[in-house]
Amino acid sequence: MKIVVCVKQVPEVTNVQVDPVTGTLKREGVKSILNPFCEYALDHAVRIAQALGNTEIIAITMGPPQARDVLLRSMELGADRSILVTDRKFAGADTWATAFTLASAIRFAIPDFDLVIVGKQAIDGDTAQVGPEIAEILGLPQITYGIEVVVTSSGRHIRVKREVERGYEVIQAAFPVLVTVSKGEVVRRAPSFQDVLDARKKPVHIITAAELQIPEEELGLKGSFTQVVKVFPPTEKKSTRIVESPESADAAHEIMAFLQERHFLP
Amino acid sequence: MHEIQSKPAPQAEFSRVKCIQGFETIQSEYPVYLSDESKLSPKPFDYLFFPKNEAELAAVLQEMSRQNIKVTIAAARTGLVGGSVPQEGALVSLEHLDQVEAIFYDRSSGEWRVQAQTSVTLKGLDAMLRSKHFPDLEKSEDLLVRQNLEAFKQDPNSYFYPPDPTEMSASLGGSVVTNASGARTYRYGPTRAWVRGIRVFLANGEYLDIPRGKYFASPAGEFVIYRSSGEASSFFIPNYSMPKTKSTAGFFAAPQMDLIDLFIGSEGVLGVVTRVEVALIPREDKVSIVLFLESDEQAIRLTEALRADKRLQLDFLEFYSGNALDLLRNLQTSEPSTVGMPAIPGNAHSAIFIEMSFDPRAESPDYQALDETVTSCGASLANSWAGYETRELDRFKVFRHMIPETINSILAERKKQIPGLHKLGTDMAVPDEYLMEIWELYRSQCEALQLEWIAFGHIGNNHIHVNILPKTMEDLKKGMELYGLFAQKVVEMGGAVSAEHGIGKIKSKFLKLMFSPAQIDQMKTVKDAMDPQGILNPNDIFSLEGSR
Repeated sequence: MKIVVCVKQVPEVTNVQVDPVTGTLKREGVKSILNPFCEYALDHAVRIAQALGNTEIIAITMGPPQARDVLLRSMELGADRSILVTDRKFAGADTWATAFTLASAIRFAIPDFDLVIVGKQAIDGDTAQVGPEIAEILGLPQITYGIEVVVTSSGRHIRVKREVERGYEVIQAAFPVLVTVSKGEVVRRAPSFQDVLDARKKPVHIITAAELQIPEEELGLKGSFTQVVKVFPPTEKKSTRIVESPESADAAHEIMAFLQERHFLP
Repeated sequence: MHEIQSKPAPQAEFSRVKCIQGFETIQSEYPVYLSDESKLSPKPFDYLFFPKNEAELAAVLQEMSRQNIKVTIAAARTGLVGGSVPQEGALVSLEHLDQVEAIFYDRSSGEWRVQAQTSVTLKGLDAMLRSKHFPDLEKSEDLLVRQNLEAFKQDPNSYFYPPDPTEMSASLGGSVVTNASGARTYRYGPTRAWVRGIRVFLANGEYLDIPRGKYFASPAGEFVIYRSSGEASSFFIPNYSMPKTKSTAGFFAAPQMDLIDLFIGSEGVLGVVTRVEVALIPREDKVSIVLFLESDEQAIRLTEALRADKRLQLDFLEFYSGNALDLLRNLQTSEPSTVGMPAIPGNAHSAIFIEMSFDPRAESPDYQALDETVTSCGASLANSWAGYETRELDRFKVFRHMIPETINSILAERKKQIPGLHKLGTDMAVPDEYLMEIWELYRSQCEALQLEWIAFGHIGNNHIHVNILPKTMEDLKKGMELYGLFAQKVVEMGGAVSAEHGIGKIKSKFLKLMFSPAQIDQMKTVKDAMDPQGILNPNDIFSLEGSR
């Protein structure tokens, strides 16, 4: 079986700062990591591979050359090889253009895939659109928000337990299929140092726009239906009041008085 | 130069210093000030002061000297030997002296330095250095301070302050007066190695500014301090040799030593440190690796091999004994998420935890030396956990600290049944050549007495914390006797009875194992010269009874 795991590089903070002048994210000093939901996706892929044997896991990402870092990380965590789809022409891609490029790259480089696993969303953009869009473009059935992903005993179907508003659904689909996942292992994996070193010997295949033979107007900013006009942090709600006092006892008295005034305390 | 002049502090009115009077009021309204992380109980004391600045601190010290009232100094209260737990008189909390004052490039040494007040926390400093965001400096009215900060921000490197005592909520000043150390002491040495200057207030309210490299003991071992009144006091430094290990037992002493080193690690009995200047170094990417092993003896052999391999530059080398791993395994069995790491492999009966430089982007990283050394001891890099992202390093750090925290919670439960029980944790280090011997002693004695025990800690510095977890008062008694035996053997090996926690009020009896009465008298002579009335930190390091 061939499992494709789509991964993304995201900033290693949840509270990114926005430059008030340019409206862009301040990335100085902010390291990048593998998106946590992509780590879950890899975890599901590794479990399936362990259960089935004879399975190849291929991590793929679209991004600038430094996105190679998350491919290395993916290979530490169990991917056998990886693909970096990188070209200046991909810059400024929205979710559709990203999905289109990734889908094209999957079709081009791994046409015989059986399963695509994608994290439900990236922690920076939070759109949760790219996975479903890839499924649409590739004409695949899709199962979203999976928390358990297993191959049935016949080996012909995937069975996914997915989160719904008031419980769970279990859905089965025939291969090839795309699954997005919202959770993985209870405790995150820790690769061995040998895994870390070995990952650096595994192949990273680079694919550029020219190889994909897609018209330029379908790529990057030109191929995007949407554009980010402005990025800004949400306005802080001032409902929180912080009691500042040099001495904890004074602060406690003030909080007591406040609570009594509002009748929270007798 | 072995002579130094103390300066009078700016004036402040004593009556305006915030003061809480009366033990009952302090007990009921300010209970956190009654103890520190040692959980030692205080004896009744009368005053709790909160000076806002150095002038107010000086006013308090002058008034307490005038009234001959003893003064205990507290900052973050993270010490483990009761140093800041008052026994009488007054407690002075330095918590408001918490400003970062400058960050600047020192051209003569070619290093970036931070100057800060004593109560800036190590955690706070690290966060500011990571983000290069220093609120205190950004609003400074001093143009030079702002220019220096701007230059620091423009420097493309990231910097850090190397000392990393486990408790990062410790204050910078507290870490200086205790010469704090931690895992990274293996590579970077203790706090002492990074202190470039201090300001210290003497008991009479005057202060000394002591940059490193300016004031040295005379060839005869003498220092002279001139007060602003013209009076002079002189003293000779102790003539003992320091152990060839980490040590926080007693005053530092060395021929023609730097005066700054006398105050570093002196546990605040000579003066009150209000300002420190420390050096920074470029931050490197790191990898944390937990190597799982077959036995504790294999861990010791691997430690010796890793230390001996000069090709390797490890930041730290830490140890989990088999019984420490079992403790964590039990936690994982009851709740897998509590430990925050995958299941500890079943074949792991000991572990070594190392950290070293690592460039995640290197095309072909060369770790052949590490692989060879690990393999030569019968271990494998494949039987390990590794992490290098910041969140991974943080996760591994939590894992490293989980053992002492778990032990504390086990003892807290037992204490509910038997209130007299407490943990017995050793803090002793021996020279390199005695590592296996001391380990054999620890293991054989704990097993022979059938005590529950767990070992972990800074094996790279031969500084293994043996924690005895008594179940009964009889266990506690046996454990205390064993502790005394360990201390005696460690001293015989040329080691230190307190490698990093200090002496404080809890370990003074062990100081007597390490130093002769004459040597302790030499320390008291220094104390008497600096603090003639003996008002500072009473009962820390040595009892003042009998002081001259």
